[in-house]
Amino acid sequence: MGRSRVSSLFKPHFRPEGHFDRSAAHKPIVVLENVMKVYRADAPVLRNVDLTIERGEFVFVTGPSGAGKSTLLKLLYLAETVDEGRVLFCGKDISRLTDDSVPHLRRNIGVVFQDFRLVPYWTVSENVAVALEVMGLPPRVVRSRGAIGLARVGLDGRGDDLVRVLSGGEQQRVAVARAIVNEPAIVLADEPTGNLDPVLALDILGLFEEIHEAGTTVVFATHDRSLLEVAPHRLVVIDDGRCIEARAGLQDLGEVMRADPMSSVH
Amino acid sequence: MTPMKQMPLLFARALRGVRQQLGTQLLSVMTVGLALFCMAAALLALENAGAMVQRWGAPVRVTVFLAEGATGSQTEALRSALAALPEVANARYVTSAEARATLGEGGDRAIASAPVELFPATIELQLAPAAVTRARVAALADRVRRVPMVADVETYRGFTDRLRDMLSSGRAAVVVMSLGVLLTVLAVVSNTIRMSLAARVREIEVLRLVGATREYVRTPFLLEGAMLGGLGAAAALFALSLVFYTTRAHFEETLGSALGLHPVFLSAWVFVGFLIGGGALGAAGSAAALRRGLQA
Repeated sequence: MGRSRVSSLFKPHFRPEGHFDRSAAHKPIVVLENVMKVYRADAPVLRNVDLTIERGEFVFVTGPSGAGKSTLLKLLYLAETVDEGRVLFCGKDISRLTDDSVPHLRRNIGVVFQDFRLVPYWTVSENVAVALEVMGLPPRVVRSRGAIGLARVGLDGRGDDLVRVLSGGEQQRVAVARAIVNEPAIVLADEPTGNLDPVLALDILGLFEEIHEAGTTVVFATHDRSLLEVAPHRLVVIDDGRCIEARAGLQDLGEVMRADPMSSVH
Repeated sequence: MTPMKQMPLLFARALRGVRQQLGTQLLSVMTVGLALFCMAAALLALENAGAMVQRWGAPVRVTVFLAEGATGSQTEALRSALAALPEVANARYVTSAEARATLGEGGDRAIASAPVELFPATIELQLAPAAVTRARVAALADRVRRVPMVADVETYRGFTDRLRDMLSSGRAAVVVMSLGVLLTVLAVVSNTIRMSLAARVREIEVLRLVGATREYVRTPFLLEGAMLGGLGAAAALFALSLVFYTTRAHFEETLGSALGLHPVFLSAWVFVGFLIGGGALGAAGSAAALRRGLQA
């Protein structure tokens, strides 16, 4: 059910007035080919990373702090660009996109951060609606879809509250609602539970699993091992700039750890 | 470009930005208003000075000084010929004795007792305002000067030229002042928008994250700048109108009776141009702030 929903919703446009390329629906949603990202010449953040993410997958990305998890995600929503290699989104090399096309790419990607990145002086509704408003949707549609988005994260009826009066867990729910309200092809979560207590962290993870079950591809970066234990999804470990595949959750992570001990994964 | 259908939303976003920093924005409007008030007041003074030069600068009178020995019949023939010219409304012969009597009206005994030969006879020409231009009066004076019985011709151009020079100097001063006002308004709006950008960093970050185009992010700030400039111009015009209409009666009394001049307010075109110019100036100041601010 999830898969058919994905193909019906997923219509990436990378350029203003661009047309949806139907062949994109049959390609992996993300492919990183031999990607290199360097901030300091003597210590590349990512080196020769190859990674393929199929549509509809839930992928954990883990590794110690500073391993390159956030950088990997930034390459996907073009907050950073690769120094070498290619990043393909639906078969299109996004590292070659022009500045004008970046906003159109981002409308296909929802992003959630550890620090929520909400506008504190806006209401809950305004923080969610902004993702629809930038697309030029009519106010009526923005209101109705915003309300649906809030209901999906359990915040219906809280639309008029100012964000700054919400708890951390509620703020993260607002951030999740903003990320999914325009039904993006993929949701990237960069340590979304980093500021939350363990119970709320599980709660938020459950929310992402619901989003995934609805057909959206989810890439969830975390260094919280307890989350990896409770959700048996595909696992990618990044350490020292390299990407190691651990196919199916904790069991495979254990094998990876034995093959390449990485005690710093918490 | 930002689609027009998104303009109401972007305008609302700009209004929200203004409300968010109301104190700073009001201070900016007042500063911009003060600068534009000075400029508008200078324009108003210039407009009225222009009207005065128009009224007083037009040549109205020419004096033809007759040479010694001009006979009565020659003088009358010249007077009649001059009176028949289209530029001349009236030509009056003034004898030497009449000239001395006129000059001595102030009670100066030295003039009254001076020999009459010291005061040349003249023909006083009253010009027809509708038919007279500076060029035609100059041509007329040149022609009359060539008549043998004419010693000199006075067109009183010195006075009108001085008025025109004053007006030109006034215009130049207003241009220089306008440049100063322009830079002031640009600086005030630019700094206000820079503060607005700093206060709304998170908002801009979120907009970019969810796929807002460059224009979508920029437009509310441009509108905010335009509102600051436009409101400043409106405030300046309102204050100037207030000052003008409360002091008008006083000026009517003084200038009206002394110079026959009735003060006028800025024309509707200048009024509208001022408002649009204020808005455009504000938008330009905002654009200058955005060029650096959004890159950072």
